[in-house]
Amino acid sequence: MKSNRTAFLFLVCLLFLGMIFLLNLSLGSVEIGFSEVFWGLITDHWEKASYREIVLNFRLPKALVAILVGIGLSLSGLQMQTFFRNPLAGPYVLGISSGAGFGVAVLLLAGSALGFTVGAISPWSTAFAGVFGAGGILLLVSAVAWRVRDSMTLLIVGVMFGATVSALISVMSYFSQAESLKLYTIWSLGSLGGLGWNQVLILAVLVLFGTLPVIASTRSFNALLLGESYAESMGINSMKLRWLVILSTGILAGGITAFCGPIAFVGIAVPHLARLLWKSPDHRILFPGSAVVGAGLLLLCDTISQLPGSAQTLPINAVTSLVGAPVVIGLVIKRNFSKEF
Amino acid sequence: MKRQVLIGKNLSLGYGSGNQKKVVLSDLDFNLLSGQMTCLLGPNGVGKSTLIKAIMGKMEPFSGSIELFGSAPSTYDRDALSKKLSVVLSEPIFPAQMTVEQLVALGRTPYLNWSGRLSDEDKNVVNRSLEATKLEYLRKERLGELSDGQRQKAMIARALAQDCPVMVLDEPTSHLDLVNRYEVMQLLQDIAKTHQKAVLVVTHDLDIAIETSQQLWILNCGSPLISGTPEDLILRGEINHLLPSDKYFFDSKRGKVVMHYQKTKIEIEGPDELVYWVEKALIKSGKPFPKDSIRISTNPFRIFCQDKEFTRISELIEIL
Repeated sequence: MKSNRTAFLFLVCLLFLGMIFLLNLSLGSVEIGFSEVFWGLITDHWEKASYREIVLNFRLPKALVAILVGIGLSLSGLQMQTFFRNPLAGPYVLGISSGAGFGVAVLLLAGSALGFTVGAISPWSTAFAGVFGAGGILLLVSAVAWRVRDSMTLLIVGVMFGATVSALISVMSYFSQAESLKLYTIWSLGSLGGLGWNQVLILAVLVLFGTLPVIASTRSFNALLLGESYAESMGINSMKLRWLVILSTGILAGGITAFCGPIAFVGIAVPHLARLLWKSPDHRILFPGSAVVGAGLLLLCDTISQLPGSAQTLPINAVTSLVGAPVVIGLVIKRNFSKEF
Repeated sequence: MKRQVLIGKNLSLGYGSGNQKKVVLSDLDFNLLSGQMTCLLGPNGVGKSTLIKAIMGKMEPFSGSIELFGSAPSTYDRDALSKKLSVVLSEPIFPAQMTVEQLVALGRTPYLNWSGRLSDEDKNVVNRSLEATKLEYLRKERLGELSDGQRQKAMIARALAQDCPVMVLDEPTSHLDLVNRYEVMQLLQDIAKTHQKAVLVVTHDLDIAIETSQQLWILNCGSPLISGTPEDLILRGEINHLLPSDKYFFDSKRGKVVMHYQKTKIEIEGPDELVYWVEKALIKSGKPFPKDSIRISTNPFRIFCQDKEFTRISELIEIL
């Protein structure tokens, strides 16, 4: 009976995901019919050649990026929440988004602040800058992780690193030119679009590699629900798990932030939504559950962001919070789920 | 034949290293036997948790040795140790959404592959653990909805499902009411007997430990670990080592700790067990004792004193 409910929920969520996916592809500055998109994708037979171009080269990569980002951030958030046993933990608690932001800020702002110019700004260059920034902060966090035994200490240190790096970014913004500041601000609002197929492929590989170590330690995450001491008494190597978590989150959150900018909210909220939906703390259910809900939620947010006026799009980072925050507030108040964590 | 599973010889434990060494426990000798429940008693801060840590392999002894099935717990790798030793800790961390069944199934963790999938055999063990702890009726309940006693039994069921020859429990009865204390201890004693496990329980409930366990370990600051059956320790007066000050002593007649007080000068006539309580109430009240003698009658219960009749002790105390 219970497993039926679980399977049913998965089916519903997957159907929902499929619907949103098609809706996402059909909406935009040029409206393409629902069925047109559906049959076009299956048969590769399009009413107009321009439709094919729009869907395959613009909207499809964007939708896939939304799905990948949704999966990556949700899984990364879920493992952080379980590992730190903290319902407020998310993919960015170890300062990864600030690190990536720092890399990009150095690229976009430091030039104008220090009076030199960087070459052309492309998705590649910001991605590299983001990877370097996130990687740097990850090295710092790892250095701390070597020394401290307590995961709570690690959490606090991660948050402090993030704060320090954000302060450095503020200093750079203060001294930089208006134009580069705007570029940086736009980056920090997040964007799912503008990536070509090559970059989508790289993102997919990153999400795959970031997800594998997590899935492979499902057993350990379940044992960790009882706390580190119990997990160790049941044969779990919590130090090894810590490295897996740092590595996986580094790849997932770091890679995603590098390509798409910081995307708030999804990583913290989706694991809670999955817990509420499936009413289970079991990571065998929560990992796939969070992945599906995360992909669906981000696709939905992306769809909403292109609705108003249809020609302009809203920044995705704002939409995720605007859509998601009320949902979570409602659920928290109604279900009092801080106790159910 | 009871088997020795955990042996300590001249064991010294403590924290720090080099010049900063702080010895907490020294020269401990003990023997944990399978098939029986052993209760570890001692005042707060004497080092019971330190001993538990050493048994769990989380610290190395300063000197002496501790051997779990012939080798030091700290030399076991995690996997092997998790199949020898299961624990119930005193830290209260409970995911409220988890069901009792899921919790007990976590006990199978050492036997599972990466995905945490339970085999039919694992499911059988989980069922047997639920049966042994009489928790089948709570199987689908969530931990957040259980009472403290039920939750503690569920934790014991989880430790049982881990299927280890040794179980160590750190104050499993500390948040429980009187009935649940007895039930939990009785359950542990049953488990030790029927499953031939060595069960070590850290507890502060002396009277329940005496009632239910076959072996007591008494730890006290600066003295070696005293071990023996509860009855032996009582008869030899060694149980009084638990009570450092002279104010209290173990009343072997009543099987409990009582306060020393001056012998009263009043005379109380009546059945022994009633005299005990009347005397106690008079001493506790702190009021001057009545000059006349007191007589107690049963059926109906009455107290006669100073030519008056009382139906309650409190009435007598009031007029003093």
